[in-house]
Amino acid sequence: MTTATEPITEYRSWAVEEFRLEEEPYYVPVADEVEVFQAAWNSKIPVLLKGPTGCGKTRFVEYMAYHLNRPLAVVRDGKTEIEDESNLPLVTVACHEDLTASDLVGRYLLEGNETVWIDGPLTRAVKAGAICYLDEVVEARKDTTVLIHPLTDHRRILPVEKKSQLLQARDGFLLVISFNPGYQSALKDLKQSTRQRFVAVEFDYPPRETEAEIVQHESGCDYDVALNLAKMAEKIRNLREHGLAEGASTRLLIYAGRMIAEGVSPRRACQVSIVWPLTDDGEVQRSIEEVVSSIFED
Amino acid sequence: MTAQLIEEAREGLRQFPPALAQEFEAAVEAVQPILEPDELGHWLGDGLDIARHSLRSWEAASEYFRASGPVLEQVTYDRMREWCLVGIDLMETSPALSGALFRASPAVLPHLSVPQANDWAAQGKSLYKGTWKSGSLSAQYFDVSPQILPHLPLSQMRLLVDLIDSLASHSYELASACLGMAPGVLSQLDRSDRAPFLEFGGIVAHTAWVDARVYFERGPGALRQVSEDQRPRYLSLAGQVAMQVGRLGHPYFIEAAQALSEVDKDIHQGLLELSEQLAGHSGDAAMEFLKSSPRVANRLGIDDIARWQEFGLQILQQSRDGGEAFFRLESARGEEVMEALSSRVDLDRVSELIRMYCKALTGVDVGVKASEELTAKGVGWVDESSPTTEGTTIYLPENVERYPTKDENFAVYKVFATHQAGRLEFGSFEYQSDLDPVHFPAAQNGAGSSAQNGHSNGVAPAVVDGEAAEIHTDMERFFDQFDDRRLAHDLFTIVEDTRIDTIVKREYAGVRRAFSRLQQAAIDRRRPVEDMPARQAMVENLLRASLDEIGRIRWPNELAEEMRTPLRILNRIRHEGATVQDSAAATALLYEWLSQIPNVELDSEDWSDFEQEMSGDPDSGEDSDMMPGSGSSGLEESFMPFMPGSEERPYDSPDPVDFRGDFKPELVQLLMKLKGETGSGDAPPIPLTKEQLQELLEKSVEISINELMDMDLAESSGMFLDNLLKEVNQIQGERQEGQQAMGDDSTGAEDGEELPVEAASFYYDEWDFRAADYKPRWCRVQEQRGESGSTSYYTETLHEHTQLVQETRKQFEMLRPELFRKMKRLTDGEDYDLDAVIEWYTEKIAGGASETKLFYRRNKVERDVAVAFLLDVSASTDEEIQKHHDQRQDDQFDDDPRKYLSWWAQRRAEAARHPGKRIIDLEKEATVLLIEALETIGDKYGVYGFSGYGRDNVEFFVYKDMDEPFGDRIKERIDKIAPVRSTRMGPAIRHCIWKLQNTDAKVKILMLLSDGRPQDHGYGRDRTEKEYAIHDTKMALTEARREGMVPFALTVDRAGHDYLKQMCQDMAYEVVADIESLPRRLPALYRRLTG
Repeated sequence: MTTATEPITEYRSWAVEEFRLEEEPYYVPVADEVEVFQAAWNSKIPVLLKGPTGCGKTRFVEYMAYHLNRPLAVVRDGKTEIEDESNLPLVTVACHEDLTASDLVGRYLLEGNETVWIDGPLTRAVKAGAICYLDEVVEARKDTTVLIHPLTDHRRILPVEKKSQLLQARDGFLLVISFNPGYQSALKDLKQSTRQRFVAVEFDYPPRETEAEIVQHESGCDYDVALNLAKMAEKIRNLREHGLAEGASTRLLIYAGRMIAEGVSPRRACQVSIVWPLTDDGEVQRSIEEVVSSIFED
Repeated sequence: MTAQLIEEAREGLRQFPPALAQEFEAAVEAVQPILEPDELGHWLGDGLDIARHSLRSWEAASEYFRASGPVLEQVTYDRMREWCLVGIDLMETSPALSGALFRASPAVLPHLSVPQANDWAAQGKSLYKGTWKSGSLSAQYFDVSPQILPHLPLSQMRLLVDLIDSLASHSYELASACLGMAPGVLSQLDRSDRAPFLEFGGIVAHTAWVDARVYFERGPGALRQVSEDQRPRYLSLAGQVAMQVGRLGHPYFIEAAQALSEVDKDIHQGLLELSEQLAGHSGDAAMEFLKSSPRVANRLGIDDIARWQEFGLQILQQSRDGGEAFFRLESARGEEVMEALSSRVDLDRVSELIRMYCKALTGVDVGVKASEELTAKGVGWVDESSPTTEGTTIYLPENVERYPTKDENFAVYKVFATHQAGRLEFGSFEYQSDLDPVHFPAAQNGAGSSAQNGHSNGVAPAVVDGEAAEIHTDMERFFDQFDDRRLAHDLFTIVEDTRIDTIVKREYAGVRRAFSRLQQAAIDRRRPVEDMPARQAMVENLLRASLDEIGRIRWPNELAEEMRTPLRILNRIRHEGATVQDSAAATALLYEWLSQIPNVELDSEDWSDFEQEMSGDPDSGEDSDMMPGSGSSGLEESFMPFMPGSEERPYDSPDPVDFRGDFKPELVQLLMKLKGETGSGDAPPIPLTKEQLQELLEKSVEISINELMDMDLAESSGMFLDNLLKEVNQIQGERQEGQQAMGDDSTGAEDGEELPVEAASFYYDEWDFRAADYKPRWCRVQEQRGESGSTSYYTETLHEHTQLVQETRKQFEMLRPELFRKMKRLTDGEDYDLDAVIEWYTEKIAGGASETKLFYRRNKVERDVAVAFLLDVSASTDEEIQKHHDQRQDDQFDDDPRKYLSWWAQRRAEAARHPGKRIIDLEKEATVLLIEALETIGDKYGVYGFSGYGRDNVEFFVYKDMDEPFGDRIKERIDKIAPVRSTRMGPAIRHCIWKLQNTDAKVKILMLLSDGRPQDHGYGRDRTEKEYAIHDTKMALTEARREGMVPFALTVDRAGHDYLKQMCQDMAYEVVADIESLPRRLPALYRRLTG
């Protein structure tokens, strides 16, 4: 029962570095990626996630951020006590081609008569000991990749040039980057000097049954439908590099599953949530639609 | 009395040559017995009158006498007298004609009454124009009349005479020739066609008299191609058209008739009706419609043709040219409408779609082709209309037209493709002798170790003369177990197809409906079981069961038990997880069961639909139930009571099921093995001797040699082997080529000789501005690499223009963009923009600063340009450049020929020493300079040339392709740029567009360098027409624009302004006034264009 005087909060906001996942993200491990990531985090080795779009890279990072606990140390009466454990904050930066170093590190802004320094998300993550996830890192400008070099080796240092500072990363900080080797042109490949600072976890779409399970869970459709969707995705992925830049992602399958759960007919649901998003090429569209219509009855 | 009269007459004739007297004597002898004395008197009088009429009339008289006898045998003298008067009357015109008339009389008279005879003579007379030639034509008329009149009633003779008369006004020879041919021509025609034939002939004589002879020669033959009852109609249509189109009328007549001969005669009437409707609007359209009819009828039924025609008629009413192009099938719209109306689905329209579909299903790179292509290879497949696969490609019939709608027909394709893809996806060709089945006990596999030891039943050990014959494939080894390979093969096909169909239906629920429909149709076409001998009937029933139709099995009730076991075996293959090994095991079991069934005629009153009580639970029964042997020891006995005779009938394979198509697992495995693609991996391709192959051919039932070729076994198996090896080598060759191509990229262009590459063909539409529509797939562009010469040309050119090269290089270097460009005055950026900050600060001190845009940011600027240069290498570029001052000198000789001659000789000598530059030379020089410049700037570029003759032969030379690295090869090719033929710009531009489309760049430029207007054979109504070519070129340039490219046309033709203006309108173009400045101008232009 709310009264008119109480404003209803319709959105929630966090400071970038304070965002923590409160509920466990749904993630089905396909191989040993959880253990690998855990080990990397323990050893403070940054992680490179490779894999096609929509196969669960971001979800995996969320899942790991939730599960990697860090003791929250409180200094009381000169003694350090471990009071609580909390999961790691997660700072996600979606990289784009105009993303510059200062976008990540921070900059001075004018406010009235003075300049104010604003930390960038990377700086905040370094300070907060968060997982910093740079999504699609190859899209960013080259100078940003150089910036992260000192952070990724044993030094774990972020130089903040404009303030003439060096920031030592707090415990728990881990740099995670992702990239999709599939559709980037040769120009946008990661430099060797950058690549060789990471342990790499390769992702691919999960096997049919696992994918069906995921789709069922995430979309709320029947398992049979989910299994058919997964089967269909397998077939469509066969067309990768032959008319299709990328196969149908698990994410799209989930969308399709949701549409079906909402009562849209399966063929139509696949059309709007898989075929059309995937490609604009009429002939490829039709081929995929034939696959869809082979698998789903009207 | 009479004798005296005769004597007097004889006396009167004495003044004439003796020939006349002879005729007279003979005639007297003949007529005297017939005629009354007074009649004889008249007869003699007439004869004398004729003879005395004029100078040469005695000849007519002699004809008169000669004809008299025969005539009088047929008619009375009264009749003859009247006719005689006609002849005498004709004497007034020409005695020669009269003679001809008398000569023709005996044969003609029976056909004519008296008034007709007058008419007949009058018509002949009408041909006589008082000249010698017309006289002889007229005489010819009387001469051939006896042969014509049996075929042509006199009433229609008028038509012929008019025709001949009309021809005679142009050429008597022609008229005479046609008249001579007339009897033969008319006799070839049906009675009802003759008048229309002559009527049309009359029109031809008017509109295109030179064609008349051809018409007489070929007309009847052409006409025979038209349905009998429609011929008069066709002729009248042709006449109507000929009146409109004049000289084209006759060729149309011949061609359209030829076209009609390719169409089912039943629809001739319909087609002609539709054509008649068109004829009212355009004769051309009407005839083009008929000429197109074979292709149209191939796609559409007559009702749909009417709809198609209606659509075209509408276009015709709006635009004559558009409509005519529509009916000539030279318009994209015509094709579209046809495609939309037709329910037929053509493979070439859907093959790419199906290919991707199959690739999606199978996950391997399968090709999709027409079955014909496989049968043409002669490697064992013979059926052109059934779907099949040889392991790497799925072959489908060329088109499907089974159902009334496109969707349904496409569904047929889909079922075909899904089944064949299923064979690949679910491993029909992956049988291996050493793998165990899933649903059958391993021992029943019938393969593996047991095969080597020889099976208890029907197994032939694969040992010949103590030495193991080489066994080529696992499938072959499997079939080797069975005495009756045909039976084994049939059973394996049924079982494996059942397995595939079951999996397909399980996995792809969406195609179930279409599948069931085809299965239903297939079962409806089965031959009755009752007529078959027992074993064959059982196989047939298994096949029916495999089509999911237990209810359609017909079998004697009394022997129900004997049918149940095989059905149970077959059903087990439907279990989930069954593999091809299971199919093999099931085949072995079925074989053992069926080989015990005598193939004899069954005598049972009680054939009935088989009730499959156990169909609900096909698993019931132990495995031992499936075992022949104990349970079936009395198989033969149980059949005994129903066998009227014990005579074994030959076993025939069941009819194939269309949607499953050909299944040749043994051959496919062999092919794969030959190609070195064995399932087991890296086994090297095995060599196969002719003897081995022949042995294989003799035993395999998958290849029936006599079906394959019409020759003896040794010869045909040799041929087969050749084909097989060719096929295998071809695939390996392709593979090598692929590797080579990949190697090329990495190792650079230095190594090795360049292989001559066959021209690759591309098809492009052409714009017909009159029809305001594209002509579909109108031009064939043949892409070929430019020939290689030496690199010295290139180096020499550079040397010659050192100065210019350096200049342009410098200019181009300046073009190279700075890596980053500063963007100033931003609210946010990399750093402060000092100017802005100072400004801001001063303003602030002054007390009013509000501007906060104080940052700058460097944005990366990438130069991302691709350019295609298209050089005109038509023959006209061979022209030497006329220098301006030369022409001016021409006027300075003051008409003194000696001066001129000496100047001319001097000039020639000089020309021989220093051959003048041709346009092409300047084009080449400009290209060299541009390449030098481009190499400094790093833009992607391609250099192409085009020429050709006619639409089928647009030559497109690649001197440097877009992605080809620059090197000596390119230099060599530039050396060999040479003038070739015509200038068909449109298709070349379209091909360039395609090249640019496949190049990744932000800015794409298409630069066209030509020496004149577009011109080619058939590029327009005739050679002199310019409009068509210009419009097409303009459209091609517009297409480039539409694709986001920048087209630029450059010409060295000083008259270029007129058409370039029209061609380019709002696009950039330039006319290089001083041709020799081209090498300098081109790089400059390029700079301006991309700077």
